[in-house]
Amino acid sequence: MQEKLTAPPDFLTIVEANKRIIFKICNAYCQNTTDREDLAQEIIYHLWKSWSSFNSNYKLSTWMYRIALNVAISFYRKEKKTTHTILMGDHFIEVADETLEEGLETNLTALQQFINELKELDRALMILYLEEKSHKEIAEIMGISTTNVATKIGRIKEQLKQQFSSL
Amino acid sequence: MDHLEMINLWKKYDEKLEKTLSINYRLITELQQQKAKKALKPAKRIKLFGIIIGIIFVLFLSFLAFHSLTLEKIFFTGSLIAIIVFTLIAIIAYIYHIKLINDIDHSESIMQIQHKLSKLQLSTIKTTAVLFLQTPFYATWFISFKWIEESPMSFYFIHLPIVALLAFTGIWLYRNIDSKNAEKKWFRVLMGDKEWASTIKSARFLQEIESFESGR
Repeated sequence: MQEKLTAPPDFLTIVEANKRIIFKICNAYCQNTTDREDLAQEIIYHLWKSWSSFNSNYKLSTWMYRIALNVAISFYRKEKKTTHTILMGDHFIEVADETLEEGLETNLTALQQFINELKELDRALMILYLEEKSHKEIAEIMGISTTNVATKIGRIKEQLKQQFSSL
Repeated sequence: MDHLEMINLWKKYDEKLEKTLSINYRLITELQQQKAKKALKPAKRIKLFGIIIGIIFVLFLSFLAFHSLTLEKIFFTGSLIAIIVFTLIAIIAYIYHIKLINDIDHSESIMQIQHKLSKLQLSTIKTTAVLFLQTPFYATWFISFKWIEESPMSFYFIHLPIVALLAFTGIWLYRNIDSKNAEKKWFRVLMGDKEWASTIKSARFLQEIESFESGR
């Protein structure tokens, strides 16, 4: 869990520490590898751009999730994706082959698919919930009330539960 | 699957990524440098181009109007002034849009940013609507007192109805180019597929944001 920032750490350290969440967000908003790479790059670019104006009174994770999710939602809604020149054979994100136990892997694929089918804003909410963010922090990231967060999460969880039971 | 199982599954996913995920930092540095060089977003670039063209057009028309300040050329000068005014409104709107784009700080809450972005898209449509108001003035600049005197029939029965029709069309378009009409066929034909699609998406998303905020 991220704590309040006391001393400005190196930007790449921040990216390294948060690379999994960046990847999970990219995976939830983009279906293909090229778009995912583009989105990851866009998110890191915006994090880098905002880094100098980061207010240490805020929680680092709130700042990071806001930027990553805002960029992902805007990127997802763009009509035409921008593609950048990536050298042949070079990949921005590398994921080595490894699978979880058979049952877990199937359930994980199903969970990811259900999340991908949610509306953009519900998807953001669900990612934050699964990342075990408190309702207060989710409310701060999303810009809605904690009551609203609780109601919506309850509804989405119920929806996912039903989808799992129909598997 | 209950919520605890979902969270545990997500943790397993996180553990798997911890072992398998790596980011190419050399590539990040190279691409960030490339990106920083062309940091101007396409939307901003288009608006900046519009402002430059608009200013050149206004300067050109002002030059012509300034050298035609006589009673005989009142239709010509009056039409030019009207076109200048509408073009200036569009230039001011575009400058305001650039300010909005610059003010977008992705570290604000998701609702705030997504609201701003959708509003910006819809405001671009309204600027296009304002520009349609100048349409009748493209049919009035060549009117002269001599023409009215020499061919009153053609002026009153042909040209004036055309101007009236253009004025009516311009006002109608100004009032109707709005996201609430975005699903109509004429809107799609007039605005082009791309603009139409992004207006529809922004309008729907704005509704979604509003219902999300209200907890519906």
